[in-house]
Amino acid sequence: MSAEKMETAAGVYDGAGPAYEGKEDALSPEDLSEVLAAGTKEVHEKAENTQFVKDFLRGRIRKELFKLGAVALYYTYTAMEEEIERNKDHPHFAPLYFPTELHRHEALARDLEYFYGPDWQSQVSCSQATQLYVDRIHQVGQEDPVLLVAHAYTRYMGDLSGGQVLRKVAQRAMKLPSTGEGLEFYQFDGIHSAKAFKQLYRSRMNELVLDMETKKRLVEEAVKAFQFNMEVFDELEVIGQTIQEDVLDAGMPVHGAMGGDVSKCPYYSAKMAASGGTAYACQLVMAVLRHPTGQVLFATWFAALAGLAAWYLM
Amino acid sequence: MADMDADTTAHTEPLVDEEEPLFSNLDLFLFSLIVGLVIYWFMSRKNPEPIPEFKKLDTPAPTTRETSFIEKMKKTGKNIIVFYGSQTGTGEEFANRLSKDAQRYGMKGMSADPEEYEMGELSRLSEIKNSLAIFCMATYGEGDPTDNAQDFYDWLQENDGENLSGLNYTVFALGNKTYEHYNAMGVYVDKRLEELGAMRIFDLGLGDDDGNLEEDFVSWREQFWPAVCEHFGVEALGDDSSIRQYELKEHTDLNMNKVYTGEIGRLKSFEVQKPPFDSKNPFLAAVTVNRRLNKAGNRHLMHLELDITGSKIRYESGDHVAVFPTNDSALVNKLGQILGVDLDVVISLNNLDEESNKKHPFPCPTSYRTALTHYLDITQPPRTNVLYELAQYASDPKDQETMRKMASSSPEGKARYHSWVQGASRNILAILEDMPSLKPPIDHLCELLPRLQARYYSIASSSKVHTNSISICAVVVEYETLTGRMNKGVATNWLKNKLVSDNSQKSTVPMYIRKSQFRLPFKATNPVIMIGPGTGIAPFMGFIQERGWLKEQGKEVGETVMFFGCRHKNEDYIYQEELEEAEKNGVLTQLNVAFSRDQEQKMYVQHLMKTNKEVIWKLIHSDNAHIYVCGDAKNMAKDVQTALHEIGEELGGMTRAQATDYIKKLMTKGRYSQDVWS
Repeated sequence: MSAEKMETAAGVYDGAGPAYEGKEDALSPEDLSEVLAAGTKEVHEKAENTQFVKDFLRGRIRKELFKLGAVALYYTYTAMEEEIERNKDHPHFAPLYFPTELHRHEALARDLEYFYGPDWQSQVSCSQATQLYVDRIHQVGQEDPVLLVAHAYTRYMGDLSGGQVLRKVAQRAMKLPSTGEGLEFYQFDGIHSAKAFKQLYRSRMNELVLDMETKKRLVEEAVKAFQFNMEVFDELEVIGQTIQEDVLDAGMPVHGAMGGDVSKCPYYSAKMAASGGTAYACQLVMAVLRHPTGQVLFATWFAALAGLAAWYLM
Repeated sequence: MADMDADTTAHTEPLVDEEEPLFSNLDLFLFSLIVGLVIYWFMSRKNPEPIPEFKKLDTPAPTTRETSFIEKMKKTGKNIIVFYGSQTGTGEEFANRLSKDAQRYGMKGMSADPEEYEMGELSRLSEIKNSLAIFCMATYGEGDPTDNAQDFYDWLQENDGENLSGLNYTVFALGNKTYEHYNAMGVYVDKRLEELGAMRIFDLGLGDDDGNLEEDFVSWREQFWPAVCEHFGVEALGDDSSIRQYELKEHTDLNMNKVYTGEIGRLKSFEVQKPPFDSKNPFLAAVTVNRRLNKAGNRHLMHLELDITGSKIRYESGDHVAVFPTNDSALVNKLGQILGVDLDVVISLNNLDEESNKKHPFPCPTSYRTALTHYLDITQPPRTNVLYELAQYASDPKDQETMRKMASSSPEGKARYHSWVQGASRNILAILEDMPSLKPPIDHLCELLPRLQARYYSIASSSKVHTNSISICAVVVEYETLTGRMNKGVATNWLKNKLVSDNSQKSTVPMYIRKSQFRLPFKATNPVIMIGPGTGIAPFMGFIQERGWLKEQGKEVGETVMFFGCRHKNEDYIYQEELEEAEKNGVLTQLNVAFSRDQEQKMYVQHLMKTNKEVIWKLIHSDNAHIYVCGDAKNMAKDVQTALHEIGEELGGMTRAQATDYIKKLMTKGRYSQDVWS
């Protein structure tokens, strides 16, 4: 057709450039959606492999921890959506403004009401790790709004992907009602197809007019966002361990590898009955002494005794 | 008295004088100890369980668990065993439900964790009469088995020489389409068991958690059990009565205010309309325009406009409008006649399972007429489980057998169903007419028929131009079946008959908006290529209106290219005036129309695209154009993709594989969107 056409081994091309070399070259690898995906791949894997997330995916999530997780999410999304509202007409955010489809803070408020009751606002507070995350979001929204894209991308894209898997796991693991209470965070009523929406969101990200420098900064901010999230997971993991201990201390001593209540163990009482009453009594006294109430009683008794002795001696 | 006083005084005095502190201390100690223990005893009474008395001291540690499922099945009289590979409990739940189902069909089932049993015994199932192994296998991670199925998986892989010829089996796979190795485990088990000689009783079921796993399971299971019964020649409970899910209650003296007359959700929601409007509370939009779009030909293409003033409903071009159609009253009447019932009797169907969330199959109380008109699908060819359940009502034993056979998974049965029901497009009325000995009770039929679904149409207007009006572009579905009957599409015929009236009785359409992700680019300057033959042009009418509006607002608008196709220029070139006007005004920078039947050779949109390949390629590759395809999914959408692959190969110097990848990537990045239907 055109006189400029030359044939190469790869095929006919219009002389405008070299033959198509590979998928990395075409379709501008500088597209923000691709740059962000590539730049956060490593930290995303890391986040998936935190103990908290691994346990969650295996259905090992305790309700107390899940509730605290929802609290953390509430503060995070409230902050993020506040900053999004502030910057909805900013040229560096406007194409990504999808409040009906995406915004979560109201759904989270309903979830918290379900978990904590109508009085939930006075019962929940922002944890330390969450506060750091929230502060950064406010800082970014007020001082450098383009970086808000990184935070929105990290959370919302995640919610629409693995987040959907988490919802089903959570529902089964904690036997939450099939009518959706407690899990409204995961329910995007304004989005019919998560896949199609993600594609739309990516196209909008790519419509932002940004130089390579800014795109690099966005990657850095997205990595930061992942790290903030991981710190919240770690904080939850630590809290999870202390919850376990409290539960144990409140009951009778931990018996056996399963952490059971010794008073319910038929073998234990059989063993004690067989070996005679004294050993049993000693065990009982020791049990009483380890029990906080027992400790209080013992202390009271000791104090009373000391008081009486003192009175006598005076 | 005086003596005693003296005595006591005398008695106490020495106590004070006496030096025996040890004694009194011991008293104090014992007293305190008693007090302390009493207090403790009172406190510990709060603990609910006292330490139980273990009577059987001589019993040794619990007996070793039975690891032979064969022995267990024989001991408990079970012939069906349902193994589950489950991580979060769903597979296990499905297995439990299946094992419970068995008794509806006169069999006995148990669910089992493959980790707890000797799976090597599978070949022994032939020792049990009418035995069947069902596998509910979830896929985990990257196509891996769940933890509890790991050993079974390893066993399957290692034992090439295993002979499972006595094993009847079926598999239901649980997975998620967003993962690359969708249902890998279920697919593997299904294939491997066959390789090892086992007999597949029913097709592999594929459950997609990204879509609706529960629905996938229920559909599969509905067709599965009839097939099993057929295979074993088992009746669904000896005494000719199948287990009903609902109980019929006829109402004789009910206040008509309590009766549903077609509402989808709340009673009287069609009389007293309250926003917000959604799938459970649709808005009754008045029809303000209903005109025929084509100039000639025997099809009927139509353009309707729905008025949403006062509803607070908002939409964007590219969104879908959902409408709730009703069945043709002539069809409903014929059903009433052939079933020999008074359709205006008011009834309720109440769920016998009191724990179920679903109290009724459709809003009750209501009349049979309302149910058949508004709530039930009476036009789609009934599914196999419906045939199976109705078979008992055929007085001719040959008809009974035919019905049951069509529900089985035998090749002859499947073929029969495929041709007699699906191929001939027989709906329930046709089946009743062609099988006169079949006389089901209407209430059981109402229990079996599926719910009538809302239909979705791509909105053909832009909210920027038409804020209070939504346009629909559709073609009326009407065709002659192999039996000579005329089948009519429910929604399109219903819409066609929604005529505009200027009196107070307006035609209304219950509707709501379902947001889509089919959107113009954010920037008006971004070029767009729209490909929408036939009624696929619908969303693009909205896009074109919107770009026209932007131009009027003084905004700079990029290349706007349209590829349209129809049969004959003089017949079905719908919206010709609007399109040519838009081209004249420069809103459409390029208008390409293919008339498929106006010449010897078929000309479709993809041919026009190839003719314009340089323009297209430049727009896509250099100018960041967004591509939109709307219309037929089966052929047109594929042909358009192929044309783009070819253009990429020719002008982009790519191999076919590279070109395919290129287009795929455009889709991922939201630059290639599809709104297609089959």
